[in-house]
Amino acid sequence: MTEIVMENLGKDFGDFTALAGMNLTIGDGEFVALLGPSGCGKSTTMNMIAGMLDPSHGEIRFDGRPMNGVPMARRGVGFVFQNYAIFTHMSVRENLAYGLRAQGVGRSEITRRVAEIAELLQLTPMLDRRAAGLSVNILQRLAIGRSAVVEPAIFLLDEPLSNVDAAFRAVMRSELKSLQRQFRQTMVYVTHDQLEAMTMADRIAVMDHGRLLQVGTPLEVYNHPADTFVARFIGAPGMNLLSGQVVSSDSGTQVDLGAAGRSGPVMAAQGGDVLFGFRPEEVQPDPAGPLAMQVSMVERIGARTILHLVTQGHEAKAVLDSETPTPGQGEVFRFSIPAASVRLFDAKTERAL
Amino acid sequence: MTDMTSPMPHARTDAPDAEGREERRLGFWLTLPAQLLVLFIALFPILMQIYISLTDWSPLDGIPWYRAYELWIGLLNYADLAGDPRFWSALWRTGLVMAICVPVQVLLGLGLAILFVDDFRGKRVLYSTILVPMMVVPAVAGYMFFMLFQSGGPINDLLSMISGQRVTIAWLSDPDLALFAVIVSDIWQWTPLMFLILLAGMVSVPQDQQMAAVLLGASWGRRFRTIVLPRMKTIIIIAVAIRVIENFKVFDNFYIMTGGGPGVATETISIYIYKVTQQELIWGYVAAIALAILIVLSVVSMLAIRKMRKA
Repeated sequence: MTEIVMENLGKDFGDFTALAGMNLTIGDGEFVALLGPSGCGKSTTMNMIAGMLDPSHGEIRFDGRPMNGVPMARRGVGFVFQNYAIFTHMSVRENLAYGLRAQGVGRSEITRRVAEIAELLQLTPMLDRRAAGLSVNILQRLAIGRSAVVEPAIFLLDEPLSNVDAAFRAVMRSELKSLQRQFRQTMVYVTHDQLEAMTMADRIAVMDHGRLLQVGTPLEVYNHPADTFVARFIGAPGMNLLSGQVVSSDSGTQVDLGAAGRSGPVMAAQGGDVLFGFRPEEVQPDPAGPLAMQVSMVERIGARTILHLVTQGHEAKAVLDSETPTPGQGEVFRFSIPAASVRLFDAKTERAL
Repeated sequence: MTDMTSPMPHARTDAPDAEGREERRLGFWLTLPAQLLVLFIALFPILMQIYISLTDWSPLDGIPWYRAYELWIGLLNYADLAGDPRFWSALWRTGLVMAICVPVQVLLGLGLAILFVDDFRGKRVLYSTILVPMMVVPAVAGYMFFMLFQSGGPINDLLSMISGQRVTIAWLSDPDLALFAVIVSDIWQWTPLMFLILLAGMVSVPQDQQMAAVLLGASWGRRFRTIVLPRMKTIIIIAVAIRVIENFKVFDNFYIMTGGGPGVATETISIYIYKVTQQELIWGYVAAIALAILIVLSVVSMLAIRKMRKA
């Protein structure tokens, strides 16, 4: 149980900047997901927390203690690797006991704690099986148990679900979440899957190209993306962004979206070129609506229907309830966006307005 | 090692059954000549050896080898072999050389591999240098050590320099020292191969498992004992098996350095066979020795393979 502070943390590999000036504080017992596409610097960040990489600049502190230069064995960090890194030539029991043995814990104490953790993770029936032949969900629990048994202050998980098939991920997501509640440790979770981050994390840190773009609770990040990257990255499908111009007239401030029409009244603090953002789920079919786009494709996925919309220079998606009557391909779809759901971004800086 | 290989998918042509059978039959006839040739090359020498070993044939008798049955003596050669002290002493000496050389080579190779698994300055140059002995022709290596171990040679000179007294050890004519000298030459020449094989094995130990062990607080020694060594088991067995088999065949440098002497002090099984073949010309007997060794080596390889399957 430790607070992690990263201050101006950065890592360069030659000319390549993997991480540039990261500032992030992860609270005691908090579950933070580092979210971003591959190459965004999330794994680099985690490896520096673990001590596998030395930072090029900046500092990491655990509960105020500077960690730069402290070898990874002495940081008290549990690490669950992407492929779990289970010692496949040993039994489940030997895997669980490994850390305790390495730390010179007494034999009876080891037996007790291994039994305890095995019970907690439902590994008791396979304690004496060789780890080589185990299924992925057992391997995952074993990997967590092997780290947890030495009671690390910090738990780092590096995309632990990326090797698991989709059907199983949902199961393991809830399993992981309940494990975190039991362990109450500070957890840092690296993932490129926004669904994992949204469902499990207390806070999400969205990263891209070595920069930290936004930190917030899942709903904050979803509802108030700090910039267009976060807007597009979070949500499936991501936020629609149409370029337009803020215009003021008698009926209030509106955004002129060219061929798509002119939006209803919006709250705008700034004029000029903007990106008009709205979630596909917020689209309201409205025969009298101010916006119109042509349907290029209709995707029916059970309870929901996704409309792919195009108009000169614009592309958007709309997610509708499948009960809602939808226009066919090639027809014009008229809709409106509730003013409260509109997010405006500066067209140049792509930051939220 | 086994974790790293994945089976390659084979392209399959799903020809109709009859056509497939036809094709397979044609394939059989087309490859038959090559198969027969391979079979002949592999089997003929062994069959001939078995045949000759059951006779008292010698090239001096004027009888062509295929008519060696005229000198049929059954298992007499094998009975002679069982009671031949020179054979047993050569076999024992071969075993002794092996028992010293193989562990030393494996341990030195392992030690070097540990040093070379991490990066350091000048690693590439040093790496190539260490591999040089392996590429020296064994006969040339024999001459090198023959000169080094002369009583007026560099090794004695070096010892003189260190001790400050004139050292004139007769390395190659003292029975015990001669064996030591040839063993040194074998270790010099074949440690690099062990190093190369063991380094390859060590590099293939998954990095993340070692990292995981470090994060769990395991010391270097514990990691080496519990992760690196168990994962290298197969490759170590292969390395040991290669050296055991090769050591049975050791000849060039031994023969050049000492000719098997003084007396029979460095006479290994290969040198013994060579002498019986070239000097005493009793080929039926030679065939019997060679066959006995073939059987011993087959057993050794089989044991190694079985161990490997288990690992």
